[in-house]
Amino acid sequence: MNKFLSNKYAFLGKEQKANTALTNKMRGALKNSTWQFLIFGALICVIGYLAVNKVIPYSLQSGIATTLAYSIAAIGFCLLMGYSGLASLGTGGFIGIGTYSVYYIMNESNMSFAIAIIVALLVSVVIGIIVGFISLRIEGIYLCILTLGLSEILRNLYMALEDTIKISNFEIFGMLVKRQSSIYIVAVVLVVIMIITQNLINSPTGRAMLAMKNSTAAAQAMGISLIKYRLLAFVICTAYAAISGVMLMVCMRAATASDGTGFYALITSLNILAAVIIGGYKSIWGAVFGTYIMYGLQTTLLNRIEVLQENPVIITFVSGVLVILVVMFYPGGIAQLIWELKGKLKKLFTKLKEVRYGKDLG
Amino acid sequence: MAYFLNTIMGSIAPMCVTALVTLAITLIFKTSYTTNFAQGVISAFGAYMVAYFLNQKGLPIWASLPIGMIVSMVIATLIDVLIFRRGRYVNALGKQIITMGLISIIVGAIPLIFGIAVPQFTAFIDGTLSAEIFDGSVTVTKNALVCGGITIVVIVAIFVALRFSKWGLSVRATASNEYVAGMMGINTHIVTAVSWGLAGALGALAAAINASSGNTVGIYFMTNYQVYAFLAGILGGFSSFYGPVVVALMIPLANNLVQYFVNIAGAPEMTKWSMVIVYAVALVIIFFKPQGIFGKRIAKKV
Repeated sequence: MNKFLSNKYAFLGKEQKANTALTNKMRGALKNSTWQFLIFGALICVIGYLAVNKVIPYSLQSGIATTLAYSIAAIGFCLLMGYSGLASLGTGGFIGIGTYSVYYIMNESNMSFAIAIIVALLVSVVIGIIVGFISLRIEGIYLCILTLGLSEILRNLYMALEDTIKISNFEIFGMLVKRQSSIYIVAVVLVVIMIITQNLINSPTGRAMLAMKNSTAAAQAMGISLIKYRLLAFVICTAYAAISGVMLMVCMRAATASDGTGFYALITSLNILAAVIIGGYKSIWGAVFGTYIMYGLQTTLLNRIEVLQENPVIITFVSGVLVILVVMFYPGGIAQLIWELKGKLKKLFTKLKEVRYGKDLG
Repeated sequence: MAYFLNTIMGSIAPMCVTALVTLAITLIFKTSYTTNFAQGVISAFGAYMVAYFLNQKGLPIWASLPIGMIVSMVIATLIDVLIFRRGRYVNALGKQIITMGLISIIVGAIPLIFGIAVPQFTAFIDGTLSAEIFDGSVTVTKNALVCGGITIVVIVAIFVALRFSKWGLSVRATASNEYVAGMMGINTHIVTAVSWGLAGALGALAAAINASSGNTVGIYFMTNYQVYAFLAGILGGFSSFYGPVVVALMIPLANNLVQYFVNIAGAPEMTKWSMVIVYAVALVIIFFKPQGIFGKRIAKKV
């Protein structure tokens, strides 16, 4: 009898153990950044599915798709600024590489989407290498202005080539991509980009870039090649911006170069810069969240409030105030804010514990 | 030859606008150590202000321009006192983002204050002058000449003040080292605030000149000139005050001259590439002279 009981309890214990092991595994998965990114992508796909089937309003989906497309550029910028300590204001021009590759390859030459992406990447690598070489000679604010000039060259080039570009529905792997379903592609590409970036940051390459950011002289003394990593940082940033352009074209289907608030204008570069600063310039999640504030908040959330619907300029005004407040009081961005809140909550919990159980003297 | 002279006469107004905006941006760059991305919209705000006195109050342009400039000056000073002064120890990128936040604030404020109608603008003076020189007639609008005159007077006055007045000395001291200037008894807060005020007034003047020469006033209608000004800043070298202004005079001229030579060469469809060519040449120059054409070489400490 006794033996039986113990056996029974042993079985129970095993089940319990298995249960805790499972929850531990799930907790581990939630802490693992790759899984976080995958879950995020899945959530986006669910939102897209609901929007396509008209459960939630369509404007929500298009706002999110735009945010995701821009946040690819923001993540590239994050890597450039937060990890390599370089800044560029060329994002607008670099986004154009993607949109025009899509237009010329798919619409004019009738080739596939994959080729468009490859061409966009190749062109952006060349441009990135050029900017990287320039960055070896010029630094800081001057580099910002120079990349701004480069972006203007590209914008004038686009205006001279073809001012307004449009694409129609296209096929990927035999599936027709309509404008409504573009969010799936953007979500997949964004998750892939996030995973690649996270691994890059944690690799020796990321550490070398961080060393370079803190002191170029010290990094060189430690045997880090300045040319190699600066070029790499700019190539990645430019390539991400180009992919972001491809995705914007997939979402929006049209672009105008001479538009003062369009994709390639100075305001885009500044918005991406602001997004990365607001979100926290060392965090991928921060970049995505900052981009949401700059691009998605208005279309997805604030437009539903009636007062703001009538006066959309109030949103512009408030976002400006918000940007200034974040920069002045939280230079680390929202990532820093959340980090500090976490610390405060932890302190609060330990205090509560002390009140309940007495002070831990051990 | 007449065609060539006409090309130069046609560039007078853009040259004035670029030079004024560049001077404003240089002043802020030297005293606040940042690139003021909001200069374009601050200037546009000035144009709206001038247009407000012109249309709503029915004042002549000679009266509304100074009033508009003074109001822009006050607002730009307030921007410095209320926002920028508190952010002076934010890092370089943070300062740029603050100016970027200013863009959003002003872009939001303009429709709230002035409404969404496009403001009407008049020229300072109507009519054209023409002269028979060489093999044809050279025509120039009187408005362009007046604008050129105002610009020359303003820029010369500011340079003389910078060179010889006590204020100029304190600006130059602040520009070379803010902390040391402060220790020597210069009130750097006032220097910075006055620079911002001047930049606001210069921006309003530049925008008014741009609008009076026939361009439609809009929120972003000065952004192009702002980009020219940044380019002029690094091409001329931000280490001096005159370098950026000299280059700023050259950029619109170069743009029109490229168009002129392209037309002469018999390829009029190439004129839309003129700005690409100018920018590309500018970037090549910067690549070989990173400190700018007029700049001094700065030794970097480890």
